[in-house]
Amino acid sequence: MSNDQELKIVFTGPMGAGKTTAIRSISDIPPVSTEVDNTDRASHTKDSTTVALDYGQLLLEDGTAVRLYGTPGQERFSFMWEILCNGAIGVILLIDGSSATALADLRAYADTFHRINPDQPFVIGVGRTNPEDADVLDRYAQTLAAGGIVAPVFDVDVRNREDVLLLIETLLCILETRVPGAAHAAH
Amino acid sequence: MQPTNQRFAPQLLASAQRQLAEFVAANPDITLAVVTSGDGFEVAAHPHLPMAQRIAAMSSSLQALSEAIAREAGLSRSRNLIIETDNGTIVVLGIPNITPRLSLAVVASGSEILGRLLWATRTCCAALAGSLQV
Repeated sequence: MSNDQELKIVFTGPMGAGKTTAIRSISDIPPVSTEVDNTDRASHTKDSTTVALDYGQLLLEDGTAVRLYGTPGQERFSFMWEILCNGAIGVILLIDGSSATALADLRAYADTFHRINPDQPFVIGVGRTNPEDADVLDRYAQTLAAGGIVAPVFDVDVRNREDVLLLIETLLCILETRVPGAAHAAH
Repeated sequence: MQPTNQRFAPQLLASAQRQLAEFVAANPDITLAVVTSGDGFEVAAHPHLPMAQRIAAMSSSLQALSEAIAREAGLSRSRNLIIETDNGTIVVLGIPNITPRLSLAVVASGSEILGRLLWATRTCCAALAGSLQV
């Protein structure tokens, strides 16, 4: 990437929330993937799982280069969370809305990543929501607020490039609101 | 840890555990040997140190990263992962012919000679491959 304005954004969330798919949806380069066979079918039925990181790159219309890092979802890989958050300007937290533990997952991951860097803004993307549940996003926002975290919550399909771009643009807007120019000055 | 261990009969795991104990006993500079699933679970370890689970997860992450780097560089699948420090060495080797993948991560103190450590670890991997065939 030749542009001198570079930002680092971390995608996180539990196993199966769509982190690898989200990065794949928007990356301008073939993403770097560290997926291996998933042997823990009791926790999730998916065939593969990320064990180190996903990496992609995105060039925004204004010339800002965004480095996209995806974390492994499982707690046993939490050592990677701190490594990957180092230098990041914000966190996109993805939650599987169809999971029975969705709200607990939201609390746990938001708390953990807020602890890793209390200054990093969050944006929440909830996937696989029930379309008939009109209050679903409010419940997520209230759960966050109960933990002292204020963050926008979106209903997303991470296979859809526009949905993932919305999360990134929202994160950049939050940074601009905090300190005008901060998002584009960061490296 | 349960999810991966359930793939192996208890007698196979006991056999692997014995092999690790013999491996560590025969190589006094080795301080820890952990059989790890590709997705970061401890399958067997000797000695039973609290850090074995973390070493298992970390070694699977590093192995996946090393394979990503090898792919990026147009090289074939990585065979060994070697971390040399001022006072010790860590090697991670794949255990052959087992699917899904298993690896052996070995921690040795600084006096161990790398070539000998690799040879001994490779020999142990071959023995483990025999005992962990499902």
